[in-house]
Amino acid sequence: MGTKDQTRSLPRGLRLVAMAGAAALTLTAGLATPLDPAPRQARAADDGKKVLTVAVAQSVDSLSPFLAVRLLSTSIHRLMYEYLTNYDPKDNHAIAGLATKWEPSPDKLTWTYTIRSNSKWSDGKQATAEDAAWTFNKMMTDSGAATANGSYVGNFRKVTAPSPTKLVIELKKPQATMTALDVPIVPKHVWEKVSDFSEFNNDKSFPVVGNGPFVLTGYKADSYVRLKANKSFWRGSPKFDELVFRYYKDQDAAVSALRKGEVSFVAGSPSLTPAQAASLEGAENIKVNDAPGRRFYALATNPGAKAKNGRKFGDGHPSLLDQRVRNALFKAVDRKAVIDKVFQGHAVEGEGYIPPRFSQYFWKPSSDRKLTYDPAEAARMLDQAGYKKNGDGKRVGKDGKPITYRVLCHATDPNDKAVGKYLQEWWGELGIGVQLNCLDNVTDPWLAGKYDLAFDGWSVNPDPDFVLSIHTCGALPATPEETGATDNFICDKKYDELYARQLTEYDPAKRADIVKQMESRLYDLGYMNVMAYPNAVEAYRTDQIESITTMPAKAGNIYGQDGYWSWWSAVPAESSGSSDNASSTGVVAGIVGGVVVLAGLGVFAAMRRRSTAEDRE
Amino acid sequence: MTTTTGTGTSPRALARQRRRASVARFWRQYRAERAGLYGLAALALCALLALFAPLFVGSDVSSVTTAPGRPMQSPSAEFPLGTDQFGRDLLGLVVWGSRVSLLVGLLAAVLSVAIGTLIGVTAGHFKGWYATVMMRVTDWFLVMPTLVLAIALATVMSRSMTTTVVAIGVTTWPTTARLVRAQTLAVETRPYIERAKALGGGHWHIMSRHVLPNVMPLVLAQTTLIISTAILAEATLAFLGLGDPTVVSWGGLLQDAREAGAVSAGDWWYLVPPGIAIAVVALAFTLCGRAVESVLNPRLGVSR
Amino acid sequence: MTADATPALVEDKHTAAGPRVRKSSAYPRYLASKVAGAAVSLLAVLVTSFFLFRLIPGDPVKTMTGGRQVSAEQLAAYREEFGLDLPLWRQFTDYCGKALTGDFGTSYQFRAPVADKITEALPNTLLLTGTAFVLYTALGIFLGTRSAWRRGGLGDRINTGLALTLYSIPSFWLGLLLIIVLAVGVGPVPGMFPTGGMESGGEEGFAYVLDVAHHLVLPVVTLVAVEYGQTLLVTRSALLDEMGSDYLTTARAKGLRDDLVRRRHAVPNALLPTVTLIFINLGRTVAGVILVETVFSWPGLGGLFYQALSVPDLPLVQGLFFVFAAAVIVMNTLADLVYPLLDPRVAR
Repeated sequence: MGTKDQTRSLPRGLRLVAMAGAAALTLTAGLATPLDPAPRQARAADDGKKVLTVAVAQSVDSLSPFLAVRLLSTSIHRLMYEYLTNYDPKDNHAIAGLATKWEPSPDKLTWTYTIRSNSKWSDGKQATAEDAAWTFNKMMTDSGAATANGSYVGNFRKVTAPSPTKLVIELKKPQATMTALDVPIVPKHVWEKVSDFSEFNNDKSFPVVGNGPFVLTGYKADSYVRLKANKSFWRGSPKFDELVFRYYKDQDAAVSALRKGEVSFVAGSPSLTPAQAASLEGAENIKVNDAPGRRFYALATNPGAKAKNGRKFGDGHPSLLDQRVRNALFKAVDRKAVIDKVFQGHAVEGEGYIPPRFSQYFWKPSSDRKLTYDPAEAARMLDQAGYKKNGDGKRVGKDGKPITYRVLCHATDPNDKAVGKYLQEWWGELGIGVQLNCLDNVTDPWLAGKYDLAFDGWSVNPDPDFVLSIHTCGALPATPEETGATDNFICDKKYDELYARQLTEYDPAKRADIVKQMESRLYDLGYMNVMAYPNAVEAYRTDQIESITTMPAKAGNIYGQDGYWSWWSAVPAESSGSSDNASSTGVVAGIVGGVVVLAGLGVFAAMRRRSTAEDRE
Repeated sequence: MTTTTGTGTSPRALARQRRRASVARFWRQYRAERAGLYGLAALALCALLALFAPLFVGSDVSSVTTAPGRPMQSPSAEFPLGTDQFGRDLLGLVVWGSRVSLLVGLLAAVLSVAIGTLIGVTAGHFKGWYATVMMRVTDWFLVMPTLVLAIALATVMSRSMTTTVVAIGVTTWPTTARLVRAQTLAVETRPYIERAKALGGGHWHIMSRHVLPNVMPLVLAQTTLIISTAILAEATLAFLGLGDPTVVSWGGLLQDAREAGAVSAGDWWYLVPPGIAIAVVALAFTLCGRAVESVLNPRLGVSR
Repeated sequence: MTADATPALVEDKHTAAGPRVRKSSAYPRYLASKVAGAAVSLLAVLVTSFFLFRLIPGDPVKTMTGGRQVSAEQLAAYREEFGLDLPLWRQFTDYCGKALTGDFGTSYQFRAPVADKITEALPNTLLLTGTAFVLYTALGIFLGTRSAWRRGGLGDRINTGLALTLYSIPSFWLGLLLIIVLAVGVGPVPGMFPTGGMESGGEEGFAYVLDVAHHLVLPVVTLVAVEYGQTLLVTRSALLDEMGSDYLTTARAKGLRDDLVRRRHAVPNALLPTVTLIFINLGRTVAGVILVETVFSWPGLGGLFYQALSVPDLPLVQGLFFVFAAAVIVMNTLADLVYPLLDPRVAR
């Protein structure tokens, strides 16, 4: 068909279409040709810059340290700003950060920190005690600035900086976390210009002034976060020149990117799946880091939600208030199957509350008290407790209705859904129905106490105080309308007594002993049934990362550490050139592919044209 | 759809006879649509498979505790399509999943077409403000991005099969309503409706006895086409994690496969069969729908 | 996309015949009525966006604080900050009033104005959908015309068959397969394309353009594959419809050559329904890319919407919902407005 002729005869609208077609063709050509002229994974080779690329999925909530609460954002703040203290990568004890020394007064109400004099902001100014004092004072006086870390300063009376190297914090009452204040210290001379802390996201002008091992140089929402090494970092410059967090919302895409060398590291959220780990284990130049995790994965039971003022709320099933029922249910959970089938070996069978990684606090039930998997015994226990089967084989509650438990599960966690399927069948055998209630956002029914059981899990810190505190009566919300620190409304007198005792016990061994008694109590109560300690399964490219520090140093994880150790310590591998080759093959193949597609289109068009031409007289 | 004015036999027998004749004519014309026949054959096969699935596979195919294989096995003689992450037989799951996928597709389409027909017929029959309001509502639903609305509905409600059916049904009816209304308006101008009205036929009588039978063929074509949409929509919602995680459906299998990491592990056997199943069934329904449509309205010349 | 594609396929044959404006003098009135109708629809969408998501159970403030310990005072402060302490009707009037000025409030999770988050992601979505849209429209019209001319031939059968098949494939599944084969690589096929995202980060100038184009290929191919069929089918059936018309017979009787008749008369007229479809598609695709954006980690509106819903980040969800629906309304109205101008049968 004569294009020229046609165009002339077309009405205006069709001309637009023709133009669109032309544009599309140009685009096709444009798309087919570029195929990556600069292979990015081999950047070390082309401009000498060594780049460490980390695949991430979580969106940044804010880059302002006063607002950010998500793991990725707070990890980035660790890299951008120095905190007063840090954690030792070997055993997690508090070590020097911006502060070199710290000292409580005898009454434990005044803490004096010595601030180092060799830390400079990236704009050349000295980082001083004044910056720290200003940061804390801002959080104490401006509610917008207290959004993320306000809880750290809630107990502060006064913070002053008598000299550039001396910071004094006065407390209202003693506070155990004074060497674990995870608050990024920001440069006063930059941040005092901010007017509204509740809306300032620190993501408009780059580079962002900081004094951590890396300096934030660029950010594009859900595309990348880019940092460059701080060459004058007091602890020493990082070995990589650049650190890029690149977004892969899809975990499979991230794993594929690792395999291709697009990224150097993948952690997965919360970890790689067994199938992904298995497929990566055999891959060349890839190391899978299967580290004992710091998390526990549990089945929490609603103990009848109530507030400190005694008001009850929520609608937990009354049968669960019977300890025999709770224990019977857990006896019908085959933990070994959970490890073998759901985690496929990338987890350790659950016992006590604290994972074995924290050996000083790890407790496990003696064999006679252990709630071993025994469905027959579980059925007997339920019979004894008065929950007998009816004619249809369903167990009935005291109200005469068949029991069906609502199990709250996280829709984004495949493990919850998988274990949920097993629960349905295990408890179905017992004659108990399970209604799996998978939600994106479990917070609401959870806080309202509107569930019977729930999948629960926490990352445990080196000091177990926090994860222990969330099961005390003191953590309950003051009123049903408020939110307490409590995990699932457990309130037990005996447990609380033990908790109070361990707080005042300064002898580590004795304290550990009390903590174990608490775990034992928790185990017997049956409100928190730990099924597994999932491993942290991550992977990185050995041809890009020569070595990297895990935390703890022996068999630890890389992503989401309590310090900046992994990225700061990572050593680039000598450029092997192999990835270079692979990528240029990719480019060649891509160009060939594009040409083939274009040629095909051309041939097709030509054939069609010829056949129309034949039609003409 | 033509009115016969024969006498002699009873009107009822006459109607039956006429209906039989039109069905026969319809089938004759349908038979000439080759694509439609392929579609119908594929559908019949799938329907049989789904109906008799309990005979081949049994409901314990979806049981995780009695799963026969190891997790993520590649295809073998024992498991022709391999196993999933629980070690369940994937061939069995795909067959078993057809039940939920087809059922949800069918129910959602029926719901959608029922709403559409109800609104279309009433809006065509009753004029005035009722029709105006109904058509405004229809127009408004029509501009709503269907998938966005369905996702929103599925999020608002709890995750279950009912939710999926409702989310799809409630978002896809407006086209049917419009088509049915147009047809109703056309039917109501015919003389015999006038006659029925003159003879004292009430609204209900007119709508159920005269309008409905006449819009039925259109509704049928519409249902067939919407089922294909609904099956795709079910897969989409399940894939986005908005389906019931405890039932086995094709979309759910794809979601499971993705969550288990089958894509990056290269476990194609986990990913390919459910997708093909969805595509085949959706295509079959589309082919049938188009064939029905072109029989009823030959001027469209859709497929031939 | 797959979810809302078929109704349009069915519908277009009936409605895409389009509005007929008989007299040119009627056009201003027609225009006014269409614009007014669109305004009413936009208002209705605004109302829905406010109330629909209020149905999500739970207390937004508790969700916002993510289960962290908060006192009654803090909760009250948050309520006040986000205007949640006001009665519902006040919240509603505030919302509408502000929305009219383009202010959709502050996102709960990002602590940034919703309008900013949307304008941040919108260009990305437009780049993806725009490219795909141009390609599938051109491809659909091109193949549709070919198919109609050679109706019933082998080419036509292959063409329509392929279009219908691709049209029945779930787009996310096709996307996953493309990732496996062309991004990860299978057997001898090397992974040629990025597995996801829009850019590698750090590229500048022309390298950046190439980099983005490289990332665009797979999502665009996916979208084009599942979308072009509809345009093809509509173009084809419209053309077939037109080819039976009397005036074509007349034209032929005048002794015009067959292909000239087609080109001069049949194609332009038959493409009119397609023009309507093009506009409708343009509106639809903005919302329709949710799946493809999810599969390819594309940082666009779809991903943002999905993420906002799971929180749920009400202001962001409302804003995005409004944008999605508004895109459809505006494009439909444009189709209504442009159609009479294009239709040669309307005397002007």
